[in-house]
Amino acid sequence: MRCLTHYPTWHAIVSVSRQRSRKWFNICRWVVGHGDMRLGISSGCDVGIGLLRTRRSTGGGLEKKLRGSRSCSRSHKDCPCISWSSLPSTPRLELGYSTVLANATKHNPVLTMSEVIEALHVYDENNRPILSHVYTGRPLSAQQLLPLYSNHPQPRPSLIYLPNTSPPTLVFSLIHSNLLFLLTSSSEIEPLLALEFLHRIIDVLEEFVGSPLLAHKVESSYDVIAQLLNEMCDSGAVSTTEPNALRDLVEVEGWIGKLLGGITIPGKAGFSTSSSSNMSGISSATALAANTPALPWRRANVRHTSNELYVDIVETLSVTLAPSGRPLAAFANGTIAFTSKISGVPDLLLNLSTPSGKQNINSVMELPVFHPCVRLARWKEKPGELSFVPPDGRFVLAGYEVDLLPFQSGQGISANTSSLKLPVQVEIKTNLGPTGSDFEVKLLITKVSGQGNSSISGSSSRSNAGGRAGSGFGGLGMHAGTSSTPTLEDLVVSIPLPDGVRNLSEIRPSRGDTTYNPGGTNLEWHIPAKEAVAGGANLRCTVAGPLTDEEDFEGNGFRLDGKYDYDEDAYQSTPAQSEKVDKPDEHSDARKIEQNKILMPSTASVSFSVKGWLASGIKVESLVIDMRKSRGVGEGVRPYKGVKYLTISRKGVEARC
Amino acid sequence: MESISRITSLLESARELTLDAAQSARNSRGSTKIIPASQIKKLLDSRNDREVLDGLRKVISLMYHSQPCLTYFSSVVKNVASPNIEIKKLVYIYLLNHAEQEPDLALLSINTIQKSLSDGNPQVRALALKTMSGIRVTVISQIVSLAIKKGLGDMSPYVRKAAALAIPKCYRLDPNTMPQLLDYLSTLLGDKQYYVAGAAVKAFMEICPERPDLIHKHYRGLVKKLVDMDEWSQLVTLRLMTIYSRKCFPKRTRIVKTKSKKNGTHGFYGDEGSEGEEGTETGEEVQDLDPDLELLLKSIRPLLQSRNSAVVVAVTRCYINLGTQEYISSSIGPLVALLRGPQDIQHIALYNIVSVCLTRPEAFVKYSSHFLVRSTDPPQVWELKLEILTLIFPHSEAYLKILILNELEHFSRGSDKDLVREAVRAIGRCAQSDAGTSARCLSLLLKQITSLDGNLVAESLTVIRHLIQQDPTPHIGTVIRLAKNLDTATNPRARASIIWLVGEFSGIDGENNIAPDVLRILAKGFADEAEAAKLQIVLLAAKVYLHHLNRTESTEPVKPVLSPTPSYLPSMGNEGFAEMDGAADDVYQPKDVEPEHPIVVLWNYVLLLARYDTSYDLRDRTRLYKALLAVPSSTQLASLMLLAPKPVPHTPSPSESRTGFTLGSSSLVVGEDGGLHGLRGYEALPNWVEAGKEPDPSLRDSDLSKAEYDDRRIVPAGERLDSVVKDTKTGQPSTINGFGATGAGPAKEKTLDDWLKESDAEEESDDEEESDEESEDDEEEESSEEASESAEEEEDESDDDDKEHDRLVK
Repeated sequence: MRCLTHYPTWHAIVSVSRQRSRKWFNICRWVVGHGDMRLGISSGCDVGIGLLRTRRSTGGGLEKKLRGSRSCSRSHKDCPCISWSSLPSTPRLELGYSTVLANATKHNPVLTMSEVIEALHVYDENNRPILSHVYTGRPLSAQQLLPLYSNHPQPRPSLIYLPNTSPPTLVFSLIHSNLLFLLTSSSEIEPLLALEFLHRIIDVLEEFVGSPLLAHKVESSYDVIAQLLNEMCDSGAVSTTEPNALRDLVEVEGWIGKLLGGITIPGKAGFSTSSSSNMSGISSATALAANTPALPWRRANVRHTSNELYVDIVETLSVTLAPSGRPLAAFANGTIAFTSKISGVPDLLLNLSTPSGKQNINSVMELPVFHPCVRLARWKEKPGELSFVPPDGRFVLAGYEVDLLPFQSGQGISANTSSLKLPVQVEIKTNLGPTGSDFEVKLLITKVSGQGNSSISGSSSRSNAGGRAGSGFGGLGMHAGTSSTPTLEDLVVSIPLPDGVRNLSEIRPSRGDTTYNPGGTNLEWHIPAKEAVAGGANLRCTVAGPLTDEEDFEGNGFRLDGKYDYDEDAYQSTPAQSEKVDKPDEHSDARKIEQNKILMPSTASVSFSVKGWLASGIKVESLVIDMRKSRGVGEGVRPYKGVKYLTISRKGVEARC
Repeated sequence: MESISRITSLLESARELTLDAAQSARNSRGSTKIIPASQIKKLLDSRNDREVLDGLRKVISLMYHSQPCLTYFSSVVKNVASPNIEIKKLVYIYLLNHAEQEPDLALLSINTIQKSLSDGNPQVRALALKTMSGIRVTVISQIVSLAIKKGLGDMSPYVRKAAALAIPKCYRLDPNTMPQLLDYLSTLLGDKQYYVAGAAVKAFMEICPERPDLIHKHYRGLVKKLVDMDEWSQLVTLRLMTIYSRKCFPKRTRIVKTKSKKNGTHGFYGDEGSEGEEGTETGEEVQDLDPDLELLLKSIRPLLQSRNSAVVVAVTRCYINLGTQEYISSSIGPLVALLRGPQDIQHIALYNIVSVCLTRPEAFVKYSSHFLVRSTDPPQVWELKLEILTLIFPHSEAYLKILILNELEHFSRGSDKDLVREAVRAIGRCAQSDAGTSARCLSLLLKQITSLDGNLVAESLTVIRHLIQQDPTPHIGTVIRLAKNLDTATNPRARASIIWLVGEFSGIDGENNIAPDVLRILAKGFADEAEAAKLQIVLLAAKVYLHHLNRTESTEPVKPVLSPTPSYLPSMGNEGFAEMDGAADDVYQPKDVEPEHPIVVLWNYVLLLARYDTSYDLRDRTRLYKALLAVPSSTQLASLMLLAPKPVPHTPSPSESRTGFTLGSSSLVVGEDGGLHGLRGYEALPNWVEAGKEPDPSLRDSDLSKAEYDDRRIVPAGERLDSVVKDTKTGQPSTINGFGATGAGPAKEKTLDDWLKESDAEEESDDEEESDEESEDDEEEESSEEASESAEEEEDESDDDDKEHDRLVK
């Protein structure tokens, strides 16, 4: 207050205006330097600066001036308010609007703390918090957070901002196998960083705790999870997320685990007992002592008794068909998942090709992304060759997309519309029948030819999808499709219905069965694998609209008519009257057709999966271990190799009408 | 890239999952059972490692369930000396979480932890360092600082990494340790191991991002290591490099005469459409890249194929803010490829795509089919997709335009109300951005107005109204067509829109206008109209009457001047309404010397109807119009208010308000909700440094670094402190965080006047920024300005408000 004595008549009223925040801030700092007026700053508030001479004579004028200034656009409760606690002598001005104010803390050095993750919460399917790990700061607790999150109307976006909490919080959410994961931060953070981190957490937990991730699995392995979470993020800064590196750091199954009665981690990739036995306890420490693991993604001293290599190529379809049946867009989003269980440090070379040969693989596999282990230079030089030292266990090697309609992207390849070959073609027709209340979905199932002979050049050539089923990897039943005879499975057509539909009075599928709840907004038509043989199938439904609405409408119509009866206009006189006698049916039919138009579904989407077939036709030519570059693989090791192709559509083929 | 867990779930059938679930249910260890505290204590106090570990597990589960477990503090912490690493780890985890609540007891463990710093096992050393720095007890800041110093020289990079990560924690404990920490940091930034360097960059960004001088000598090293770092370090390093480059490489451009070249080879930047065309006239502006900057841009290119979406966006941000067109276009594809990811990533990626698309729509044209809306998309996704489609619309080829319009038409007929609304608005934006197709858009919209879906009709009409306002003359026929629809349109908003439009066109063609006739028909059904429509009917009546007055005035120019009000004495003629009206309010006197003109009769009738309406708003407005038009001779004021030319509504793309935010930031996603200056901790990129003010490029020479490095080491601490203070003093006072506080120290002597002077000067330099903001404000206020200009814009205004409100909500 020393300074104030020099300027006994000056005090500051601080109200905040956008343009002047800097000036305002300077005043605040000055005030902080001289008194203990408390300042609370909140962004987003309008600021206007007024310097107020507290002589009563001028006070009134200023008051007026302030009244004239722009008021805060936000609601008052959000506004920080200026309180004048430290200025008792100030004549109190009645400010009818956002008087923003200085609430007073000694100006503490506020730390930036940017890009910091503050806490992770996990809830089970009943919204019971089962895990909350606080990294830094003083975030909201799991119980406080959940209602705020659920208050947000569904569907909830992955990033929700809670401006009214203290501190204002960013919540990132992800739902995975019925568990809800929330990540919070109270300051600016790259949202993709947070989300990618969440995905990594889930990946790592699945790998260590076993997939699928279930609430009691989480609850029974808190010790492991605590270590994992602690390693993955060091007081807010993401650090080690590579599963291999984490396996070096976190003991899953040490001696103590064995003593406690061998809690078997469900046999996921890389967790065969043979591999974990030699990494427990001190051995991992020595691995670290050996210093810098040359490859951050591969753990040291990998040893397997049986050496295996699996390639899974999964393509997810995303096709949009115009009402005419012409495809508007058709993409296959491919992912190459890889499982490596090989001792030492193997150096692998995976060769991919397309039906039309290897040279144009670059134009087929567009916009690829790779695991860090892939040597990009090699791919650039020789497209289709992936050279890499794999992490131990299961990982995603690459992702790509294939435009199944290459002519559209303007490259002028032959404009062959029928180039799109799908195992299922779908068509939807609406407004059928006398009153236009029917719609029909037609399916045409065609046989696709498989990926051909998928044998891999290398030690064991008898390796196709069927062969792999026996190895206990993944959940492939023996009946699963093989590359030579791909089969169509899980064929489901789902048809979203408009809100106005009260019921489907008739549902007639030619094969398969349907599920629909009266009043529901979704009709599903399942065709079991047995019945999904080549040929056509159709589904015809009749909709029933809302009852009340219909009556209303009739009334409305009559009212209109009546209105015009009184009207002495020429155009609504006698002829209309005479027509009324013989044409009511037609009239009401036309009306009904119009009405039913609103009740018609506008799309039908098909889900299915085909094993042994890829929409893009990409094939694994070969997978070899480069023995010269590899280390410690062992003489004469001939790993078992397998390839699996899978094309999946999850409501991915969408027909419009 | 898809995560492995998602791929696994695709590969495994549902049956398998349920089996797994059942199995794990059997296996569950039942640790959720509540165990008495005494038993846990007993386990913790046991001499048997196994029992201790068991006890610790139980404590950890309590902790994760957010149940109180402070009671075990002493029992847990005394196990810190256990040689068993598993026990150690769990104790450390407990300590990290609870040390703050029991600072005194926690201090007891410090000594043991300190001993672990010299353990033979690097993992133990790193853990100890990590734990010690993580304990939030201020008094140990010096010990932590020493521990970090020790960690610096460790053989194991793992420990050095832990040391780097401990730096910001130590700073948070006690900001006064800054000078020592900076010293450590500059050593670590030069570490040969990429992951140590990565961690050091993280620390740097947290404690002193405003000190580019520390980076100079490590710049090239860091750029080279960048590709090898882990994704998270890449992210932070990319952030650092973007800021550093803005501060250290002035933007140099040179004009290249491309006129002659353009005709032949289409130049180097052949693909950039509009910009290239500009070049033909003025000579093209080519950015001259500093070799060091080019090194950065080149070396991060492979990262565009990273599996981490955040890295791809970070590289794009770097290119867009630093690079040339060539680099930027290489980043567009990978950005679009992010849409392959899971939905949450897709959503955020779309925000970034929109942000880039607003400035460079033409680059996205070839990816247009990626943005088709799918029935499975949630609202927040299709909203952004529609926005992108409308943004690229004016730049695409004819067939693509048809595709986009068909797409929008399809969704405008859907059943989802919000989607319908957005689709129709999108059509409006398309028409607005591309004059060539606006006729087609309009016919598309006109098709919709006969639909039975009131929502769709209302939305289309609002957009049609905007389109007509943009270019009124050719649309007289359209308005007549719309007026015919009044017979069938039931939605009040739709009716209101049509009526308003009819009113706007009521001045054309004098007596031949349809407006009076429309008014006549509407007046009949007045009682059954909704309030919104009634308001417009009254407004229409006022306009029609005003036009009528203006016409009569111009035909009999002498009369009004000579005979003011008194000439219209209340005459109890055959006009019943006028009589009542006159009786009620003697301000208005109809002229009825000759038989009343039908328009006057109509006007009076409408006034009468409105007068007894239940809505006070309607009554108020009616009174206003009545007063305005009370004196037939002086219609200037009324004309000013009612017939003022309406500003052409321009619908901005919904995301335009967020363009100011840096790509990849949360502020970009949250938008206005996060505040005008972004979320807490958000800082915009600095502007390019002015040429001549940049640091000497030779600072980055690697051979120099050794000598300079040593020099810095000998600088006495006092001098160093001085320089720190000096640096921070010159730092911008606006930096609320970090050093702003230190700057406040020396500022104590300043008077308020000094501060104000300073801020004035700053404000001047910031004028440009401000005017930008102001212009934004202006846009926002457009609606309120409209209101003040013309009182009858109510409907329009409330519409705009709706929109704005919508945006705020989002």
